[in-house]
Amino acid sequence: MLPARPKAPPRPRESRAGRRLRAWLPRLTQVRWSRYNPSFVEPEVNRELYQKPWEELSEEEKKKFELKAVQPVKAAPPSVSSSVFSDPMVSKFTNMMMKGGNKVLARSLMSQTLEAIKRKQLEKYHKAPEDEKDTIECNPYVIFHQALKNCQPIIGLSSITKGGKTYQVPVPLKDSRKRFLAMKWLITECRENKNRRMLMPEKLSLELLQAFNNEGPIIKKKHTLHKMAEANRAYAHFRWW
Amino acid sequence: MAAAVGRVLRLGGRWSAAAPGGPRAQTLRLIYTTTAVQRKNVGASGPEKYTEEFIKKQIEEFNLGKRHLANMMGEDPETFTQEDIDRAIAYLFPSGLFDRQARPMMKETYEKLLNAQKYQDQLTAQDLPPQKEERNLAGSRWLTKIELEEMLLEKLSDDDYSRFIRLLEKLMTLPCGDIEEKYIQKFSKEVPVQSEKAVIEPLKYDEQGVAFSTSEGTRKTSRATVVVYDNGTGKITVNGIDVLHYFPVLQDREQLLFPFQFLDRVGKHDMVCTVSGGGRSSQAGAIRLASAKALRSFVTEKETEFMRQAGLLTVDPRVKERKKPGQEGARRKFTWKKR
Repeated sequence: MLPARPKAPPRPRESRAGRRLRAWLPRLTQVRWSRYNPSFVEPEVNRELYQKPWEELSEEEKKKFELKAVQPVKAAPPSVSSSVFSDPMVSKFTNMMMKGGNKVLARSLMSQTLEAIKRKQLEKYHKAPEDEKDTIECNPYVIFHQALKNCQPIIGLSSITKGGKTYQVPVPLKDSRKRFLAMKWLITECRENKNRRMLMPEKLSLELLQAFNNEGPIIKKKHTLHKMAEANRAYAHFRWW
Repeated sequence: MAAAVGRVLRLGGRWSAAAPGGPRAQTLRLIYTTTAVQRKNVGASGPEKYTEEFIKKQIEEFNLGKRHLANMMGEDPETFTQEDIDRAIAYLFPSGLFDRQARPMMKETYEKLLNAQKYQDQLTAQDLPPQKEERNLAGSRWLTKIELEEMLLEKLSDDDYSRFIRLLEKLMTLPCGDIEEKYIQKFSKEVPVQSEKAVIEPLKYDEQGVAFSTSEGTRKTSRATVVVYDNGTGKITVNGIDVLHYFPVLQDREQLLFPFQFLDRVGKHDMVCTVSGGGRSSQAGAIRLASAKALRSFVTEKETEFMRQAGLLTVDPRVKERKKPGQEGARRKFTWKKR
């Protein structure tokens, strides 16, 4: 279920006195701050944007480029690179799978999962008759993206207290929230509902292939959520944002 | 309450009038509950909405107040202008209005906005196209809150400041005359172009005539020094050890190759690095920064600008946050026990 209403935007960085105050009164002062000055902008790592010649850029893009020339840019994080092999969705999923900061293990599990998917699909490909060979998708990244897309819910539920009673109100979800829910369901499903002996990459590859074909427990969970939202349609007007 | 009691009595009265038979026990029956029991949830309807009726009501109240003020001053209510109101307030409150909410907020800026809108209406009335000169957004920025406070000699809240900036931006989008331009320029400042700040060192040449460039990089507690040679085969040596042995993790080697891959120079340079301090990831980050800075000498200005926008040339300021007293870690608090 979603947390409650959207919070106020975070205030700018505080001084040393503010930090000392915060240690003693953790609930009363804002915590979210960053080592960067607020004027710093996120880096753009994608190479294709920089390879376009100047004449081909549209007016808007030219303006954006000129604006960027005066804005300081943050450093690129260590998990991001401009090579074709770095995928932001895959990195996000790896981070969510990570436990205790063990990125090495999480990344190896991820690569083993993708390998397992490729192997299974290749097996199917070689066994299939000639005319069906075109329909079988062998690229594990395509399968990963499509499976996550299929798992994303369209509408979510939020608890709203009105007149002493708490109602589950259907609420439209932001894109980032949808992606997060899909990944979270996938990981929880794989951690909880598996055999003692089955390893994570095997189970994950199984779930991903099932989600790619729109079947399996995660798709079912998505459908139950949609049905509950449909059932609680009467409370939809309780939402004020 | 009184209405409910009255209703009950009326009921009782009606009942006893209607009853043909003997005396029966009078039962009190309420038709419906009072408003005191049905408490209205004021917060549930959300923040106050600026509907047409709300605006009209506010305008009416303002005009009524204006007429009262004119009466008080002994002037004609029909021809009471804004300047007359200002003079009246200055007369009635010679020390100024103390209550913050009684003072008009950003009066000058609002007036300029109204003037600009009137000017635009005039132009559209004369069927002239709305001329809007393209102001270069890139070279200027608005004053920060602290600078504005210094200018106005008065404390501002964050909310006030953001509203003021929004008003100024709205004013910028409308075509306005010279006075308004000068007014806006009072609140904006020049911003220098970022990439001109750092000095790019020229290439050096060693005994064989091979071009090379040295630079340093840091990340957390790691310090790295890197020498990038031209005409190379892509060999990378770290602290005298080959990169495959020093960085067994794929992510670190990806980071080392990032600047080269970005500039399409993967197999063209050799690199010799020395790094100390920190862990494996921060050492990789330090070498990445150092190699990006070294590559600037080999590459055109435009490509250095691209590198900067990709985040390769910025020193990562993130360090381990300090542990605070009364907490277990930097953010983690001790387990909360009820008693």
